[in-house]
Amino acid sequence: MKPVNFAYEKPRHLDDALRLLGNGSQAKVLAGGQSLGPMLNMRLVQPDLIVDITALDALKHCEKQQDFLVLGACITHADIEDGRVPDVTNGAMAAVACGIAYRAVRNRGTIGGSLTNADPSADWISALAALGADAIVRGKDTRTIPVESYVTGALETSLGENELLEAIRVPAHSKKARWGYYKVCRKTGEYAHAIGAVLLDRARNVFRAVIGATERKPLVLADAKPLFQGSDDLRKFDPTAADAMLASIGMDDPLDRKIHTVALARAVQQASA
Amino acid sequence: MKPVSFTINGMAVSAEVEPRTHLADFLREERDLTGTHLGCEHGVCGACTILVDGAPVRSCLTYAVACSGAEVTTIEGLDNDEVTAELREAFKREHALQCGYCTPGMLISARDLVLRAPDADERAIRVAMSGNLCRCTGYVGIIRAIKSVISARRARAIAPVAMNGGALGPAGSRHSGSETVSELMAGRATATPVSAKAQRPAMDRDWRPQVSFEQSFVVHYPRQQVWDFFGQVRDVAACLPGASLVEEPTDNHAEGKIRVKIGPITAEFRGEADIERDEKTYSGKIIGAGSDVRSSSSTRGMINYSLRPTDGGRATEVAITVGYTLTGMLAQFGRSGIVQDVASRLTAAFAQNLEARLGGKALEDLPVSGEGLNAGSLLFALIRDRFKALLKRLFGTR
Repeated sequence: MKPVNFAYEKPRHLDDALRLLGNGSQAKVLAGGQSLGPMLNMRLVQPDLIVDITALDALKHCEKQQDFLVLGACITHADIEDGRVPDVTNGAMAAVACGIAYRAVRNRGTIGGSLTNADPSADWISALAALGADAIVRGKDTRTIPVESYVTGALETSLGENELLEAIRVPAHSKKARWGYYKVCRKTGEYAHAIGAVLLDRARNVFRAVIGATERKPLVLADAKPLFQGSDDLRKFDPTAADAMLASIGMDDPLDRKIHTVALARAVQQASA
Repeated sequence: MKPVSFTINGMAVSAEVEPRTHLADFLREERDLTGTHLGCEHGVCGACTILVDGAPVRSCLTYAVACSGAEVTTIEGLDNDEVTAELREAFKREHALQCGYCTPGMLISARDLVLRAPDADERAIRVAMSGNLCRCTGYVGIIRAIKSVISARRARAIAPVAMNGGALGPAGSRHSGSETVSELMAGRATATPVSAKAQRPAMDRDWRPQVSFEQSFVVHYPRQQVWDFFGQVRDVAACLPGASLVEEPTDNHAEGKIRVKIGPITAEFRGEADIERDEKTYSGKIIGAGSDVRSSSSTRGMINYSLRPTDGGRATEVAITVGYTLTGMLAQFGRSGIVQDVASRLTAAFAQNLEARLGGKALEDLPVSGEGLNAGSLLFALIRDRFKALLKRLFGTR
């Protein structure tokens, strides 16, 4: 259980990091290493070079803007859990953060690392998609893309070889926004078997729903009305519509569909409570 | 080797380390601090939990080189710590340890909890301690011990430690990086490809796969034509992205390899397969086994297929049953769903290629090809279309 030998660099400037990634070697970016670490230890990933991005101040920066919170990619789950960063989601992000794995993992695991590792069963890829967050990607240029487009499949993102995830931009909720997030785990802290998330923020005209942990990219509804009989009434949740959608993306096992539908139903229940 | 300096239990330490050396190995092998235990070495068991800059971390998932400038504290450094002393007493009293393997990690996680959460009830303690596994005492004593320390401190009105100060980012990373980035060094370790001796599939009739699933697809050509095509092993293999044959196949035997990429993981399975076909029922069976040397994983699998005419004989439905068993690191890592997702993508790619080949397309013009299946968004377009069609059916315009 030891990784292969690799070279290691911990650049202090973003441009240096991009240069290291762009020179054609088998380089892997390391942030907190809580997902990559196991893969390295098991030798499932065998890079020539590890670029540790945790010394890049820009990636540990956090800024509250008018309608957004911009969180650097290297902000940890514990930073969010403990309120060391501002909150614009009425506590939604802290609640998600404190349910990720275990405290010792949250002290090093980062929001950007989790998103970029894009494990279908991890929390942030579903939660951030439900929050309507954007990924801010730095390469030659900076591009800002919705989280649901940033994640392209199981363990896959649209990140190019010469690009880094710099930050995540989360839109601020209005005071009356309703949020629900539920994940099904057999053991506390393990990767989820099913995730449901819903955000209804009438003041901003936002109604989003996500079904995650589907073993592929999460199912994101930027307009959740089809799940609520065409309305924005949380009490009108229609499990059969969710079931049909899951079937349409190829989830053939009825039990699997049921678990995912129930996860969403419980998220809806939280949101309407 | 890279230079690293930090403090361990208050003592300044400088050393040269291989970047791949994690903190637990460094502490145990270089500093003889064997109180830090290694269990699973992939972040699940919690035995290796130590403090870095005062916060519990998994020392098996934290490279020593990444912690330059940090304060590292192991169980040995907590001998005179007040909370740890109370916990030690309570663990002893409540029979919270037997073999003691998990105890250093338990104590460090428990100490963190006691300091941060003076109001934790039994449920909160159980949730907070869920990242530390114990295989002998059964947790009851451990939870009772922690609960008693928390209650005693609450009775003495000791306030929690605030966790909202301090710098952001992973524990241990908050200090210095390298001032300048050294030029990418020559002589960096490169993985030497090990030549894999293909594994002989054992044609054990009693073998039962761990996982099996069924899939079907339709190609728009008559059954006889599809059947004949399926008899040509080389052509069939060419329709599978990432697959290639290493030797000239016979009608009932093939040796080959397949390369699959899942995110940062690349696996290349080499192996061989026996092929059976039954003309009368238009069905066949492929039984094979292979291994991936890099990840020391191996697989055995069985594919049954049958062809059924559809659309008045103009098209053929191909029904496939896949059963496989995966062992080794990939299996330890993989949740079977992801493997199945990859298999579905492979099947979808195979179906597309098959259709194109039957239509007379040349090998190099196949719709899905490449170095190996990139499990990315291959199926995405297909799914998106099906999903849109569903929304349309349910809600009219959209």
